Amino acid sequence: MKKNILGIFILLVAIFVITAMINPKFLNAYNMQNLIKWSSLYAVMSLGVAFVIITGGIDLSIGSVVGLVAVVLSICLKLEGMDPWSAIGITLALSLLIGFLHGVLITKAKVQPFVVTLCGLLVYRSMGRWLTDNQSIGPIPLEGDAGYANLEQIQGLDFVFSGKIAIGSFNLPTPAIFLFVLCIAAAIFLRRTIWGRYLFALGNNEEGTRYSGIDTDRMKILAYVLCSFFAGIAGILFAFELDSVQPAQTGEFYELYAIAAAVLGGCSLRGGEGTVLGVVIAAAVIRLIYNSINMVGISTHLEFGILGLVILLGVIGDEFLKKTVARKQAAQKA
Amino acid sequence: MGAVSSPYLEVKELRKSFPGVLALKGVSLSLAEGEVLALIGENGAGKSTLMKILAGVQPADEGDFQVKGEAVSFRSVNDAMDKGIALIHQELNLCGNLDLASNVFLGREPTRGGLIDEPTMRREARKYLDLVGLDLPVETIAGSLPIGKQQLVEIAKALSSNARVLIMDEPTSSLSQKETETLFGVVKDLREKGISVIYISHRLGEVIELADRVTVFRDGENAGDLAGDEINHNNMVKLMVGRDLSEFYDRKVHESGSIVLNVDQVCTPAFPASSLSLEVKSGEIVGIAGLVGAGRTELLQTIFGVTPALAGTIEICGELLALDNPRTAIKAGIALAPEDRKQHGLVLPMSVRENTSLPSLKRDANRGWLNDAAEAKVTNTAVKSMKIKTPTNEQIARFLSGGNQQKIVLGKWLAMKPKLLMLDEPTRGIDIGAKREIYKLMEKLAGEGMAILFVSSEMEEILGMADRAYVMHEGTIAGELDRDQLSEESIMHLATGNLVAA
Amino acid sequence: MKIKYALTCAFLSFSLFFFAGCGGDGTSSQSDAPSFAYVTNGIDPFWDLCAAGVRIAEKEFGVSCEVLMPPKGVVDQKRMMEAMLAKGIDGVAVSPIDADNQTPFLNEVCQNTILITQDADAPKSDRLVYIGTNNYKAGRALGGLVKSAIPDGGEVMIFVGRLEQLNARQRRQGVIDELLERPMQDLDQVKFDSVDSVNLSAEGSKYVIVDTRTDNFDKAKAKSNAEDAMTKYKDLKCMVGLFAYNPPACIDAIKEANKLGQIKVCGFDEQDALLQAIQDGHAHGTISQQPWEYGYESIKMLKSIYEGEQPANKYFELPFLVVDKSNIKEFWEKKKKMAELGKQG
Repeated sequence: MKKNILGIFILLVAIFVITAMINPKFLNAYNMQNLIKWSSLYAVMSLGVAFVIITGGIDLSIGSVVGLVAVVLSICLKLEGMDPWSAIGITLALSLLIGFLHGVLITKAKVQPFVVTLCGLLVYRSMGRWLTDNQSIGPIPLEGDAGYANLEQIQGLDFVFSGKIAIGSFNLPTPAIFLFVLCIAAAIFLRRTIWGRYLFALGNNEEGTRYSGIDTDRMKILAYVLCSFFAGIAGILFAFELDSVQPAQTGEFYELYAIAAAVLGGCSLRGGEGTVLGVVIAAAVIRLIYNSINMVGISTHLEFGILGLVILLGVIGDEFLKKTVARKQAAQKA
Repeated sequence: MGAVSSPYLEVKELRKSFPGVLALKGVSLSLAEGEVLALIGENGAGKSTLMKILAGVQPADEGDFQVKGEAVSFRSVNDAMDKGIALIHQELNLCGNLDLASNVFLGREPTRGGLIDEPTMRREARKYLDLVGLDLPVETIAGSLPIGKQQLVEIAKALSSNARVLIMDEPTSSLSQKETETLFGVVKDLREKGISVIYISHRLGEVIELADRVTVFRDGENAGDLAGDEINHNNMVKLMVGRDLSEFYDRKVHESGSIVLNVDQVCTPAFPASSLSLEVKSGEIVGIAGLVGAGRTELLQTIFGVTPALAGTIEICGELLALDNPRTAIKAGIALAPEDRKQHGLVLPMSVRENTSLPSLKRDANRGWLNDAAEAKVTNTAVKSMKIKTPTNEQIARFLSGGNQQKIVLGKWLAMKPKLLMLDEPTRGIDIGAKREIYKLMEKLAGEGMAILFVSSEMEEILGMADRAYVMHEGTIAGELDRDQLSEESIMHLATGNLVAA
Repeated sequence: MKIKYALTCAFLSFSLFFFAGCGGDGTSSQSDAPSFAYVTNGIDPFWDLCAAGVRIAEKEFGVSCEVLMPPKGVVDQKRMMEAMLAKGIDGVAVSPIDADNQTPFLNEVCQNTILITQDADAPKSDRLVYIGTNNYKAGRALGGLVKSAIPDGGEVMIFVGRLEQLNARQRRQGVIDELLERPMQDLDQVKFDSVDSVNLSAEGSKYVIVDTRTDNFDKAKAKSNAEDAMTKYKDLKCMVGLFAYNPPACIDAIKEANKLGQIKVCGFDEQDALLQAIQDGHAHGTISQQPWEYGYESIKMLKSIYEGEQPANKYFELPFLVVDKSNIKEFWEKKKKMAELGKQG
């Protein structure tokens, strides 16, 4: 496990240093603030999917959940003029409900997670488009919207979710604080509670865990609920960050970023492995790659290509490290 | 019988180790053309490992291996097949959805112009099916055949690849009496045609009937060879166990107390048509014997709540239980050390500590927070009392030997202080030393008043350990035998479907 | 031990960003030639043609310019522009994806550098100038093309990627107004027919706009929309494609239904398939915005603002070109040249 974090950490530092050497402007405060902000936004989702991946499952619906949550939040705030905190509550409740639904379908109706969440991906995306007639919308009410009366409160929320807090000359984006809190909570949950232990156990061997008297179904449902909940928080953060929600596009593809970060961060898609910190650093690496490509001035058409290669190499390197460690351990034993 | 000429196949001083286990400590074996050699030994003696090396599944670490006087070292199953050696697996490897001809030639289909040459394939398949006495049409779908016939198809498949040596790993473990007889006929036939067979079995009766020669392994070493008249029950057991039976199973007779487990008219989902009844008293060790597939494991799983009963009642200490998942069973004081240890008993990639504490975590937790002190205590107690040989409590379970893994399973259950301990094939894949420790432990727990119910396919284990035994046959309990009625004959009689004659 | 290690890693990662950020503050640019960014709203051959104009202007005015194409909407657009700001760019020309809601961010950009909009406007923002086609007028011209294609009138259907974009709505309205003989509207105050209105017709007009279908930039959907239209409206006379890929999709669908010539196609922009069809007589005509002019004029404008000139007007109108059989040859030649040039960038 040590090696896992170390590998991804070295990758982070390497890209960081190389970019800074090619373009020193990379290091300016504005760019660092942006990097922290984007990394935090994506890391929240990645953290969520890590729970599911640890149990050996998969959630493909994250991006659509982000989109739907952002849409519903915007409708509540802007068009319905709802009390802002209730709107936040409703959207989070929606994400919890979605996760619960996934969990129940997977454990009780025995549908494969891939299928359940793939259908989720389609359904939530189209729900978002249908609710808005596929028109762009944003959480901040403009003049003439029903929510305009709450403008002050909503701007307060905007600050909470996408503001910046000055620390000396540095403006810390608030999503970083969200990420920090969620990170600590997730790490404690996974390492210090019996439920975290159960998630790892069931990811490694579901049958064996069930034979030990653990309610594996309930634990799996919990993992999906957490995953969607984190996606819901990310949806709110994204909505306020962009101030613009496009029902067809907001969140599209994000499940893949999240899964990529989880895998690059040391989660195994076979389940049973993963660390909070690895996932967060990996999410930062992905955003860093995007930023570096722009800062170095590489054609933006190459973004996906470079990202894909880095993830692939990262995972191969990781696999290689693990094998070396296992071989050493085996050699010590024999 | 078989003409004994210079050995077709010969291995000398073969060694093989796995992480944590020295599986073969230098074994030797020779096989003449047209010879049936029985290879026997307790579980964990190294038979399967040697067979895998001979068949090219895995390489040896060191040692000589010659085929027809020529040194070989196989890198794959194909290498072995090229030299005429084929392994008939314990678990059959046929494709159930394909017909017999396709199965026989799977991967070696005759082609013409890039397409499968069906007529040739069928004609050739016919030839080999006839060779093993199968008169079914080659278009028959393999999955529709009973196990015994599928095995014959496997043999035909091996012969079609010009096999000169067949390695059969417990071929009769899931066959009926009649199927067994057919198989014996085929084996004897093949011997006449100059094909050699290495025959691995636990059934000493079969060995006596079939083998020209017997090689006995014990603990990864040669324990001795027997030929001709020397092949009898006593000689074989002595070589296998290394001492007299009574010494190995150090069994005292205990006073049995009140009824702990009472199973009444229970139907398992595996055999919904038959209902089962049995009881186990405190301080009693009860065995369940029978052939593989007789429904023994399924019965234990039903009692443990894995596959809930369709009908009937299960009581623990007089209390009626609705067992629909393992949680309920564990709460009622039932524990199961399952047959498939790696799949059901342990979480292999996790540590000794995490495995041992898994069932008791919740009991010891404080509102969901892990209780490190309690967890360490449970682990230390288990490691100490089970004598688990592990460098640290953080060692990953995968890297421990089978015996130590089984001890972890037992350790984690003993931390739950069960009233009824069920063991499914408790000593499968375990070396002799650990085996003895597990028997001693069963003995000790029974002495302390625990009720123990175990399933075993090893005749000696049932004979040596059980106060009483139920024998199962095709999903039903064919009979119940008290300690003084227990014998290899009486068990086999019931296990193969004859009612007890006494 | 493990936890200590993890915490160290976490702390180091964070401080890496934090102190790096505190250290190198300030976004002043030191290079001699001004550097600009040309930010599109997505990836499309249209933007490659614009890039050609950017390249021409780069040489002509002695500036350097990065062309950025955000692959996935608002998020990528924001991210890329932020990176440009971090680089200390001297000016940005952008085609905003969601103008209204992006306004706060665009204003943030305005505070740090010169911002102009092109192709699509963000009227509520502080951008200095908008360079664009009058999409309403262009729509009316397209309506004119339809009229000349089916002078006897009939059913017309409109195909478009998305109607969230103002330019798409304006184009559509131009077509509708022209066909229904409505009076010319002012670009700033165009009144729109509802997005899902069907069977629009008017007295004194021979034309019925039966429906408007969107495909959300999914080319396969665009084609199946056209196919569905032919199934649903047997008397359809003309298909109007408002986004570059729409007309070729329509032509494809019509060809497969063996209705070439029966159903006319009028389009927007200049995809090769459409130009070929115009040459072959399978499509009637198209309105070209001459994308290279976008790139060229944007850089020219940025350069002049950079040098201290204030634009005379908030709106710089680019002329569009009506292409039909009469001028297809020379137009296509020019386009080929521009496509070649754009790719090199």
